[in-house]
Amino acid sequence: MLDVLRVVWFDLKHEVYPPVWIGLQWFSFSIQIFIYGAIISQLVNIQSIGNYQMFYAVGFMVMMTFDVGSHAGREFVEAAHEGRLPYLLSLPISRSKLFLSIALKGGLELALMLLVPFAIVLSLIGNLTIISILAAALALFFLGFGVAGLMLGLSFIAFKSSDLYVAITTGLSALIIRFSTVLYPLFYLAQAQPGYASVARFSPLTYGADLVHLCLGFNPSLFLNASVAIAVLTALAVSTLGLGIFLLGRLVEGVKSG
Amino acid sequence: MTELNAILRLARNDLSYFFRTKWLMAVLLSLNLSDMLVVALVYGKIMPSFNYFQFFVPAIIVMGMFAASLDTGRRIWLAIREGVIQYYLSLPISTPGIVVAYLLAGGTAALIYSTSLMLIALVVLPAAAIWNTIILLPFLFLLAMGLAGISAALASVASTHGEYFFAYQQIVQLLFLTLSTVYYPITYVQKYLPSFLTNVASANPLSLAAQAMRDYTFSGYPVQLYSLLNILLASLPFTIIGAAAYLSALRAIQTKGKI
Repeated sequence: MLDVLRVVWFDLKHEVYPPVWIGLQWFSFSIQIFIYGAIISQLVNIQSIGNYQMFYAVGFMVMMTFDVGSHAGREFVEAAHEGRLPYLLSLPISRSKLFLSIALKGGLELALMLLVPFAIVLSLIGNLTIISILAAALALFFLGFGVAGLMLGLSFIAFKSSDLYVAITTGLSALIIRFSTVLYPLFYLAQAQPGYASVARFSPLTYGADLVHLCLGFNPSLFLNASVAIAVLTALAVSTLGLGIFLLGRLVEGVKSG
Repeated sequence: MTELNAILRLARNDLSYFFRTKWLMAVLLSLNLSDMLVVALVYGKIMPSFNYFQFFVPAIIVMGMFAASLDTGRRIWLAIREGVIQYYLSLPISTPGIVVAYLLAGGTAALIYSTSLMLIALVVLPAAAIWNTIILLPFLFLLAMGLAGISAALASVASTHGEYFFAYQQIVQLLFLTLSTVYYPITYVQKYLPSFLTNVASANPLSLAAQAMRDYTFSGYPVQLYSLLNILLASLPFTIIGAAAYLSALRAIQTKGKI
């Protein structure tokens, strides 16, 4: 276990010393919620939501989870290309331990980035039970792992052209966020264009956002069925993590650096 | 070769680099088009008392211009980090010429990119006076140069702190956009923010450009000279500060070999 923790710290220390990116995430969350969210909520009128600022705060947290997850996936590809991964693969630890350390590092990074935003959201909403808080946190972690795995799944493109990989993943990220229920409930996506709601049902963020909103006590009539959302997120996390193990075991061996 | 020729060649080189960066094009287009065709449309449905689509679409053109201008800083930062700047400094072009070339390229790239966004916007939101846009264009170009100047200043400051450039850029982008009337009308900003920040939002060059787009291109009001002057006055300081910061960074590289 000490080997795993050492590798986790080797990767994580760049984020912590100095904690620029973590601080930046907290800062941008605060600006987004207390300026943008507060002003835009004066314009929005969804009766079943009440205060849109809270809905937006939860949605923004889901977006942050998505960003951290996709960053973890992209970082893995960068590590493969820049020679850091071949170094890690040469260490005297098993592939399964290495994979565990990568997953743990991703989870810890996500926890650090979300620590303050999650606390702010909980204090804004208030009146929550321990169970609902834990369920929301768990849903966010499942989503984070699922998204990281999704980006890893696309890494085979990067082994052909890293430029194309970055273009596809970043372009796709913007679309996945917009065509999801992070910023607005599914009903309003369908009202804008019926086709939008159908596309949103393919976005993992729709299930993540709906589940976290549900856990944090928003009106259930606005969201997808909780059991479907749990099933989709679990399937996504398990399948993409499985893919990650496969990739680490087979594909990344011999990836050229540079 | 005259100095002007050299400046234009360097600007053309930088301009082509902007449009050849595939991932950047993918990010900008997917962000701006999805904002226009999804976010603006859906927000329009959850704001029954306000035509948000009509309000937000002109602002997305300005947001696109802002994002494209900010990329100038990334290109400057890359040139400094990877040593390309040493090659530029060895060319038969003056140091201020390099600064002008970068700002020109940044302004032009942003203007071309935002014009393409405007053409798409015109399909979904008919313009009442398209000719007003032609009057606005030179002022938007100056604005784009000013925004490129902000980015150049950030790149010059951050070059000693490596990767922090992107952190600075994100902070500037976030503050410029949220403290503006790009997303919401000034009346709602006044209701929530203190008067000091409301003044900042009103004087923000992005607010001025977005409002000019809404009023003159899409609503068809006659173009007011004071509005154009406001854009000019709001952009000029950023262009000067950016140019001065980049110039001093280049002079430091010339004398010390690094910043």
